[in-house]
Amino acid sequence: MTALILLHLPPGSIQGALEFIFEPQSSNVTGGKMVGGFDQTLELALTQLEVTIFALALSLVLALPAGLYLGHKGVGELLAVGLGNAGRAIPELALIAFMAAAIGVGTLNLTIALAVLGIPPILTNAFVGIRQVDRAPVEAARGIGMTEREILFKVELPLAIPTLMAGIRLATIAIVATATIAPLAGVLTLGDYIINENVYGENGVVAGAIVVAVMALTLELLLAALQRRLTSKGLKLSPA
Amino acid sequence: MSSPTLTLAAVGEVGKGFIHERTSETLPCQATEKLFCFDWAKENIDRYGTPTLQHLELVSLAVLFGFTIAFTLAVLAHRRRWLQSPLLAATGVLYTIPSVAFFFLLLPLTGRGVDTAVIALTAFNLQVIYRNTIVGLSNVPSSVKEAARGIGQTDRQILWRVELPLATQEIIAGLRIATVSTVAIATLAVFAGGGGLGAPILQGGIDFKTNIIIAGGIAILMALAFDLVLLTIQRLATPWERVARA
Amino acid sequence: MPSDELTEKSTAGASPVRYAGATKRYPGSAKAAVEELTLEVPAGEICVLVGPSGCGKTTAMRMVNRTVEITEGDIFIGEQSVRERNPAQLRREIGYVIQQIGLFPHRTIAENIAAVPQLLGWNKERVAARSAELLALIGLDPDLADRYPAQLSGGQQQRVGVARALAADPLVMLMDEPFGAIDPINRERLQNEFLRLQAEIGKTVLFVTHDIDEAIKMGDRIAIMREGGRVAQYATPAELLMDPADEFVEDFVGADRALKRLALMRVADIDLWKAPLAEVGQATAEVRAALEGAEVPYPLLVDDERRPLGWLSERDLAGGQVPARPDSPLGPLLDRDDIMRDALADLLQGEAQYAAVVDGEGRIEGVLSVEIISEFLASPEAKTEEHSATERPRE
Repeated sequence: MTALILLHLPPGSIQGALEFIFEPQSSNVTGGKMVGGFDQTLELALTQLEVTIFALALSLVLALPAGLYLGHKGVGELLAVGLGNAGRAIPELALIAFMAAAIGVGTLNLTIALAVLGIPPILTNAFVGIRQVDRAPVEAARGIGMTEREILFKVELPLAIPTLMAGIRLATIAIVATATIAPLAGVLTLGDYIINENVYGENGVVAGAIVVAVMALTLELLLAALQRRLTSKGLKLSPA
Repeated sequence: MSSPTLTLAAVGEVGKGFIHERTSETLPCQATEKLFCFDWAKENIDRYGTPTLQHLELVSLAVLFGFTIAFTLAVLAHRRRWLQSPLLAATGVLYTIPSVAFFFLLLPLTGRGVDTAVIALTAFNLQVIYRNTIVGLSNVPSSVKEAARGIGQTDRQILWRVELPLATQEIIAGLRIATVSTVAIATLAVFAGGGGLGAPILQGGIDFKTNIIIAGGIAILMALAFDLVLLTIQRLATPWERVARA
Repeated sequence: MPSDELTEKSTAGASPVRYAGATKRYPGSAKAAVEELTLEVPAGEICVLVGPSGCGKTTAMRMVNRTVEITEGDIFIGEQSVRERNPAQLRREIGYVIQQIGLFPHRTIAENIAAVPQLLGWNKERVAARSAELLALIGLDPDLADRYPAQLSGGQQQRVGVARALAADPLVMLMDEPFGAIDPINRERLQNEFLRLQAEIGKTVLFVTHDIDEAIKMGDRIAIMREGGRVAQYATPAELLMDPADEFVEDFVGADRALKRLALMRVADIDLWKAPLAEVGQATAEVRAALEGAEVPYPLLVDDERRPLGWLSERDLAGGQVPARPDSPLGPLLDRDDIMRDALADLLQGEAQYAAVVDGEGRIEGVLSVEIISEFLASPEAKTEEHSATERPRE
C-alpha cells in the first residue's frame, strides 16, 4: 500500500525526500545553514532506535516477570488484563507532554514515559500466554517431578512464546511510533524533521516519514523472525 | 481546518517544541506550577469544545471506514483461504507504520487536513478488525455449519444467519480495541492538520499541566465511553452469551 | 509369554505401597474426599482402584506422589513415608501417566521420554541409550524419536507417555485412566501391550479406572471404592466375581459377573467330561459297551491320531462296524487354550449340546458342555485357577 501511495507521488517529492536523507540541503529559516543529509539523519535515527530499545528493555524488566509469575500462579487476571485494556487508551501526545511537564525533559524521562506505553501489552500477553497453555503438559510436568520454577521456564514459557512475542511486538510498535514525537520532550529523533517543516522543508518532512516507516517495518520484521526462531518446531506442525 | 502555527523560539533549541500561547488568562495558572487549577478549568472548559468535536469526528470516521473495509476484506478472505495471509500481512504493514509518519507520507497526495488524518487513522485500525473478524468466523463450530447446510441453507444464508451472528462477540471485541486505540492515537492528528484534542496540548506548552490533564482526560473518557457503548451493543447483540454467563 | 524361569518376578525394581489411614480433606468440605484409607499393594503387582465418579479413587492415587497433599495419615513406599520427602524429588522416583497424556508439544518424542532422567542429571549418553531402549520396549519405530507429539496418533502418544513414566526406572507407577482418551480398539491393544510390558518389568502399579471390565482385565488386585475413598472390597478379580462383599460391589461388578468370570478362564482350567472314543472299523459292540455309564452319552469318532471326526448316532451303531462317515457333523471344535467365555459363545451358536476339545495338535482332550459350565459356576467350592494379570487370557 505504501508503495502504491509512493507511486502516485509527483516524482519530485520522492526524489527530493531521498535526496534529503543523504545530502545536506540549505534551509530557509536558518539563513543558509545546511540541514538534512546522511549524518544528521543517521543521528536522529539512532537516537530514536536507542530510546526505543531502552524503553522496551525497561518495559520488559518491569512487565515480563510480573506477567509470567501471575500467569503461572493464575492470579491477578483483573490487573493483568485490565492494565492491558487501560494502556490502550493512553493518549500518546498527552503522555509525552505530561511526563515532560511532570518529571522533566531528557532521554531518561522520555524512556520512562515510553515504558508506560510498553508495559501494558507485555504484561497482558505474558499473563494470557501462560494461562492459555494446555493444562495437560503442565500437570504432567508437575507429576513427574519438576519444581514450579522448572515448570514455568521449561514448559509454560516455551509454549507461551507466540502470544508473548505478539505482545512484545505490539509494545515495540507503540514505543517506536511515539518516540517519533520525542522532540517535543527535548529528545531529538526523526520527528524533528517531521514536526518542523519550516526548517526542513517538505522534502525533510517526507524524508522523516519515510525513514520512520522503514525503521518501524524493519523492527517488526526482525521481531517476527525472532518469534519464528524461538517458537518450537513442535508447535508449528500439523498432525502427520 | 487551519494547522496550528508551529513556531520555534529558536532553531535547534531543545525542549521548545511546544508552541506557547501564553495569554493573560493562562499565565497565572501556568505560573503556579500547580498540578491542576480547578478555577481555570471551570472558566475555560468551553475552549475544549471544538477540539473534542473534531476528535469525535476523526475517530468516528476512521472507525467507520476501517470497519467497512476490514470487515469486507475478512468476509471475502473467509471463503478464500489463500487471501488470508496476504491480507493479514498488508493490514499488518499499515498498522506498523507509525501514524505520524503515515500523515506525512500522505502529505504530497492529500496535503494537510482532516482527510489525511482520517486516512491514516483508518489504516491504523484495519488489522485488528480484520483479524478479529477472521478469527471469529473461523471459530464457529463446523457442526453448526453442517447442521445449517443440512437443513438446506445456502452458503450466503449460512454466512449471514449463522456464522456472522456467532462471530459477533469476537468482531465487536476487535472493534472495541480498534476504537480505543484510535481515540488515543488521534491526539497526534494535530500534526496532520486535522485538529482534535492534540491541538490544545500542543498549543499549551509543556509546563501547562492543567491543560494537558484536561485534554488528555477528555480523550481517556471518550475512549471509555466508546468502549462501554460498544460493550453494550455486544451484550445486546448476543443474548445467547448472556444466558451462558448466567 | 514368560517362560517358567521368569515366573518368579524380580521385585528389585518395585516397591510395595502402603496406605496408612491416609485422609484428604478439602477446606470448606464437611466430608473427606478420602477417609482414612488403609490398603497394601504388594511389590510388583497391579492394584486397580475402581469406583463410580467422585468416589475419590483419583485423589487416593494422587496422594502417593503428593500431587494431592495428604491431610492426615501417611503413605509408605517401601519403608519410607512420602510425607517426609521433598515433593518434586519424590515424584521423580514415581512414574506418572495421566488420561490426557500431556506430552510436551515443544519437545521431540526422545526429549519427552528423557524428561525425568534429565531432571535427575543423567549424562547424555545414558539418557540417549535409555530413550532408545524404551522406544523398543513400547514397540515404537525408532524413527519416531525425532518427531513431535503432534505428529503421532493418540495411541502412539500414550505409549510415549508410558515410556516417559518408566524412563527413570521408578519403584512405583501411577496411572490415572491412562487409556481413557483412546478409542476402544486401540485401548485394547494398549492394555495388552502394557500387560506384556509388565510381565517383563514387574512394577508396582496403582491403576485408576471407572471401567470394571478394564479393572478385571488389568488388576492383580482390585479395590472397589465408594464415596470418600472407602474400600468396599479389596480382592483378586476372581474373588470379587465369586464373592462380592455387598450389594454395592455386586451392582458395580454387574449382573453378568458370571460371564465375567468366564472371561478369566481357559477351557483347560475346567474338568472336562470324557466321551467314549470310537475308531473307524471298530466293532460297534465295543462302542456300545463303552457307552454304558459314560459321562457323555454319544461316542466321538476319532482317527488314528485321536483327532475328532464327528459324533456317532444310534443309526451309526446299527451295523456291526463303525462307519467311516458319521451321521452328525462335528459341530463346534474347541481348543484347550480358548477363553471360556468364547467357548460358551461357540457352544450356544453351534446349537450343540456337546463340543469336542482338542489340544495344540488337534488331539482330543475332552468334551465341554453348557451343563459343565453352569455346574462349575454354581458350585461354591469351585476355584478359578488364579492367574496373575499378566498371565490372564487375552486376545
